[in-house]
Amino acid sequence: MTRESVVVGENASSGSVVVGGDVTSGWFDARVVTGAHPASLLPATDPEAIAAHLDRFALSGALVSAMASWLHDPIGGNAEASAVAHDLGDRGVLACWTAVPATPGELDSLTSLVDRALDDGVAAFRIHPTSHGYSPALLDELYAALETNRLPLCVDAAEITWPDLTTIATRHPELPIVIGAVGYRKLRELWAALAANPNVYVDLVDFAAHQGVEWLAANNLAGRLVFATGLGVRDPGEGIIRLAWSGLDDATVHLVGAETAGRLFRRTAGARS
Amino acid sequence: MIGRRPQHRIVDVHAHLGPYSLFFIPESDAASMVAVMDLTGTDVTVLSANRAIQQDAHLGNSQSLAAVDAYPDRIAAYAVINPWQDPERELERLAGDERFVGIKVHPTLHRYPVTGARYAAVWEFAESTGCPVLSHSEHQSPYDAPVLFQTVAERYPGTSVVLGHAGITPPGVDEAIAAARRYESLWLEVCGSHMTGPLIRSMVDQVGSGRVLFGSDFPFIDQRMSLGRVVCAPLEESQRQDVLSGNARKLFRWRPLPGERGVGNE
Repeated sequence: MTRESVVVGENASSGSVVVGGDVTSGWFDARVVTGAHPASLLPATDPEAIAAHLDRFALSGALVSAMASWLHDPIGGNAEASAVAHDLGDRGVLACWTAVPATPGELDSLTSLVDRALDDGVAAFRIHPTSHGYSPALLDELYAALETNRLPLCVDAAEITWPDLTTIATRHPELPIVIGAVGYRKLRELWAALAANPNVYVDLVDFAAHQGVEWLAANNLAGRLVFATGLGVRDPGEGIIRLAWSGLDDATVHLVGAETAGRLFRRTAGARS
Repeated sequence: MIGRRPQHRIVDVHAHLGPYSLFFIPESDAASMVAVMDLTGTDVTVLSANRAIQQDAHLGNSQSLAAVDAYPDRIAAYAVINPWQDPERELERLAGDERFVGIKVHPTLHRYPVTGARYAAVWEFAESTGCPVLSHSEHQSPYDAPVLFQTVAERYPGTSVVLGHAGITPPGVDEAIAAARRYESLWLEVCGSHMTGPLIRSMVDQVGSGRVLFGSDFPFIDQRMSLGRVVCAPLEESQRQDVLSGNARKLFRWRPLPGERGVGNE
């Protein structure tokens, strides 16, 4: 068993490995949401809170999207995610932007949005079709641009139907898709999506199925699990303890906690910046 | 860093057992649950079989007892009382079998209000014996909204009732806290998909750390998800230990949990 930790942040693009740390340190949090939630007792996640989160759990970095992009101004809110990423870039923090269909007055072009994101060092995109009121089929241009640039697409289970998810994954086999907030009632659907599409991943935000992580690992799918806490929308203790006290061996904890995120999110981040 | 091994001793007062029709549960058997408990530092889990809450109380209660027989030092059982399935018969069984340490009711699932006459025998039994009752509670449910338990507490002040999920949603938690502040017989249990450390802290601040209990709802919700909210919650360590195990040891006096004599029975 390994007892090492990987720096997924600033050194990850070079694949450097830091040997000697505890296997529960150096994880990369693949979902943090910056800003205030309007109906939650959870505190707002400003850069200071995110930095404290990284310190508290010895994290090597995080992928940050904006609450404003979800619950207020989808495109305009992206600047808030990027601001955090720029503030905390030396802590391994990366931005995740939100897309909506190109609509005059709101967004001119999805391809140009992806271009701007690449220029800004953005590491992934997130979509909220249910919350933002459109069909996922309207984003074909986005999926193609992301696939070309190997930028992962992130989406919560409540934001998309399983058939729509599978359609995107099938039409764009080189596009990594990270499904999150699966809960504990969707393993039958999740299994079908993972088995049919090697480009589909699942993060640990509210991945609450009993032994679900161990079950996927036992079925040779540990490499499709991505550590994430959902800081800002979920209690981070859920994901932290879920993985730390899991039944996975150290090497697999390391894979889920750090390695897979390194492959997914550091491939293109900063490529043009 | 959090480390791979727990630092606390834990009693889990809200758990289940076995398959469930609405969704797939990996490894829902007692042996797998005990294996998880070994990883999380859980000494004892008090459970009710899913068959008992979902379909057949009598058969499901037998499954719970089989789990106790297999792991008498680690598992204790609630007797599920379904108000539609001969509750008097199951209460007689409970009274005569010391492997049961409490009662579980699920008004939302059984579509019958906690204030209804068919539950009267449960509350009377609990009041006369000291047997604790764990009930599902759910904000705005016509069957078990937290506010309804105030009526139970008024009618049966000597009955210890645990509000499972403490109302589930954040507004439900506020309602459960208000009920528990008014009636000392009401306890709050912390599992649920919308629970957070700050909400648990709110319970402790307003009700006191002595009537908040750790439950996980596993093997529905992974025990570690529920546990993480408490382990990482902004609590003092003494408060955290009250929630994680101390209060459960105080609550289960009628038939003490494995591993320790009940408080007051020394």
